[in-house]
Amino acid sequence: MLRQPLCRALALSSPARAVPLASRSYSNPVPAEPEKVEVFINDKPVYVAPGTTVLQAAAQVGVEIPRFCYHERLAVAGNCRMCLVEVERSPKPVAACAMPVMKGMRVKTDSDLTRKAREGVMEFLLVNHPLDCPICDQGGECDLQDQSMAFGSDRSRFTDVHFSGKRAVEDKDIGPLIKTIMTRCIHCTRCIRFASEVAGVDDFGTTGRGTDMQVGTYVEKMLLSELSGNVIDLCPVGALTSKPYSFAARPWETRRIDSVDVLDPLGSNIVVTTRTNEVLRILPRTNEEINEEWLSDKSRFACDGLKRQRLVTPMMTDSRGNLMPVDWEDAIVAAARALRDCPPNKLLAVAGDMADAESLVALKDLVNRLGSENTCTEQYFPLDGAGIDLRSSYLCNTKIANVEDADFVLLIGTNVRFEAPLLNARIRKAYVHKDTDVALIGPKVDLTYDYMHVGDSASVVKISPRGPEGSALLAYTQELACKLQDKLQDKEWKVLNVLQRTASQVAALDLGYQPGVGKALQDGPKVVYLLGADSGVVSRDQLPKDAFVIYQGHHGDAGAAMADVVLPGAAYTEKRATFVNAEGRAQQTLVAVAPPGMAREDWKIIRALSEVIGERLPYDNLDEVRDRLSEISPALVAYGDVQENNYFAQARALAQSLQKPVSGKLDVQLKHLEDFFMTDTISRASPTMAKCIQAVLKQKDSPY
Amino acid sequence: MSSRSVRPMMSSDLCEARRRALGLYRAIYRYIPYVIKYYDIPKNIDQCRWMLRSYFYKHAYITDVRVIDMLIIKGYIELKELTHQWQSKHHVIRHWNPSIEPKCTSFIAKFIEGN
Repeated sequence: MLRQPLCRALALSSPARAVPLASRSYSNPVPAEPEKVEVFINDKPVYVAPGTTVLQAAAQVGVEIPRFCYHERLAVAGNCRMCLVEVERSPKPVAACAMPVMKGMRVKTDSDLTRKAREGVMEFLLVNHPLDCPICDQGGECDLQDQSMAFGSDRSRFTDVHFSGKRAVEDKDIGPLIKTIMTRCIHCTRCIRFASEVAGVDDFGTTGRGTDMQVGTYVEKMLLSELSGNVIDLCPVGALTSKPYSFAARPWETRRIDSVDVLDPLGSNIVVTTRTNEVLRILPRTNEEINEEWLSDKSRFACDGLKRQRLVTPMMTDSRGNLMPVDWEDAIVAAARALRDCPPNKLLAVAGDMADAESLVALKDLVNRLGSENTCTEQYFPLDGAGIDLRSSYLCNTKIANVEDADFVLLIGTNVRFEAPLLNARIRKAYVHKDTDVALIGPKVDLTYDYMHVGDSASVVKISPRGPEGSALLAYTQELACKLQDKLQDKEWKVLNVLQRTASQVAALDLGYQPGVGKALQDGPKVVYLLGADSGVVSRDQLPKDAFVIYQGHHGDAGAAMADVVLPGAAYTEKRATFVNAEGRAQQTLVAVAPPGMAREDWKIIRALSEVIGERLPYDNLDEVRDRLSEISPALVAYGDVQENNYFAQARALAQSLQKPVSGKLDVQLKHLEDFFMTDTISRASPTMAKCIQAVLKQKDSPY
Repeated sequence: MSSRSVRPMMSSDLCEARRRALGLYRAIYRYIPYVIKYYDIPKNIDQCRWMLRSYFYKHAYITDVRVIDMLIIKGYIELKELTHQWQSKHHVIRHWNPSIEPKCTSFIAKFIEGN
């Protein structure tokens, strides 16, 4: 059962594909739109492009045809038969999802024949589907449940007089994230198509025919993908459900709050499901510009880390050097005293990877008022040349969605699959459907598609920003990008893209934080204010012995362990806060649950601290903080929008002098799937993520 | 504009309503010493009289006769509950809201409080 796109994907992976595109012109002109054809859905006329299916044409006039196997973002399978509709002058009902429209076609989606066909299909599906809805995790959000109510027959003909039982299938073990109850499977093959087309892991498939057909991995094997959780959403029945969420709640007893993910730089849109002030699960929310309707496994399953290792009370070191819980008054006064008595040039503030824009601006304002300019982020970025003065030199200028239109993608020193899994899914989509070619400079890693490996030596490109030669590398990259841009016919197309690795970095750079702590640490700071800085860039042995460390954040991790005063903050599900994603799009999270214990919203902690120091910050509520944000850059509060970036030529000119010879090798931190699962405080605290790493390592030992 | 004539509750005009209101005021005013005696509240006569006045001033703007009548009836109900000892000490002291804590207004105070 090979479907067309898959055949193409297989054909594309031939070695001939790895040859660079000599004959390809840049930006192929768009072909003229073909004439539209008229079809009638329930006698309602609609004009659609030739090649659209009956189901899509029906959707355009608002007629929803029931379906199980059809999914907009996957290849058409046409095997569930639920979408059967009557077409006039056609001897049999036709599958709407696979049938292209023809001129003057008259479709009846509500005729007796259609209804009878649906009832028949429903009956066949239910003959072998267990009646275990009361103990099924899909109950309440199950397509089969809903559609059997809406389109099924009103009485059963199923009488098992011989007690022969229904079809039963052995459950598969496909890892710690997905629970399989294969008896419930209705063979829609959505999971198979997702794994092979989107995730690029061709492990799923079917064996057997007829009643003996089974979906699964042929040998017992974990689904080794960073996008595996999406098959849970895709499964129309309860065959694939979430293991961490199993038997936890019913959909009608939960509250759903729209939010934004901060565990990777893309800012995927999510829905946080809560009950009794507890985050139960995280689901993706459709946003065509960012994550379509997918979500990476870390963003989806790390939410149990929000309940563990939390800082719930302010703490201070006692005379023996142990952190002891104290009241807010004591902690704030101690922190304020240290900040006030510190000489301005010895004060250092470091922002971590999940700091929101509000707390970043409050901290910067406070530090500036105290006379210091030392506000840094943990992630390094070259500052020479145009540095961070021009927004275009540190953003994904092309925007995430436009990656699909690219003809050629050159990845320099990044493993985009684990640094931004959904961006990688986009590149893969372009690779499969639009013949995009990909090349990589950096260590050889598995990106789920074929690419041309140019080597991992920095001198290959003369052109990636990391380490001491970062600025020269960025300069060469800018040079290359500008040269390419000059040749393009499409002048609006942006060539240079920089993928930041954390959710806070772009907002911090917009606000004027210095990327990287290197220089500030050498000066021997007396007081260090860590705003969720846990990645280990700042450690005790780099600081002078008498340095006073204030840590503000939500998890007890590296930062809190070395602190003298700990101020408990809120995680991203517990505050209304602004995050700017890698393409420069500001988005806000909403409050799903209350911060635990005595934890407070982050900007409020800094605001309270400022008042005790005697340098009161001029904002008392969230709106006033956001007014301050918009004073600095209106883009920070233009939620959902991306500003166009320019001045590439100027950045190139400023970087001209930095084009020194480079040597050394490019390297990435996240090389393998086991590296992907734990990258920040939340995922490090998550038991599910720990199980994932164990399972991946175990899978690596297995012969399959 | 059209006006609707309604059946009066007790008083037929504002004049009569005013007479009734004064009557209620006097009745309570005269009972105040006994309230202090029987209920043993930590207030003196003047404080109680000020509280009584404040209730009447609170409704001073009302011109609808039926509303005034209703308030007078409720006032008599309250008085009857006092005279018959149907109320307890805490009912009486509640007029001064002694247990209500003033809301924090400064940022720091609200922060420590947790909002």
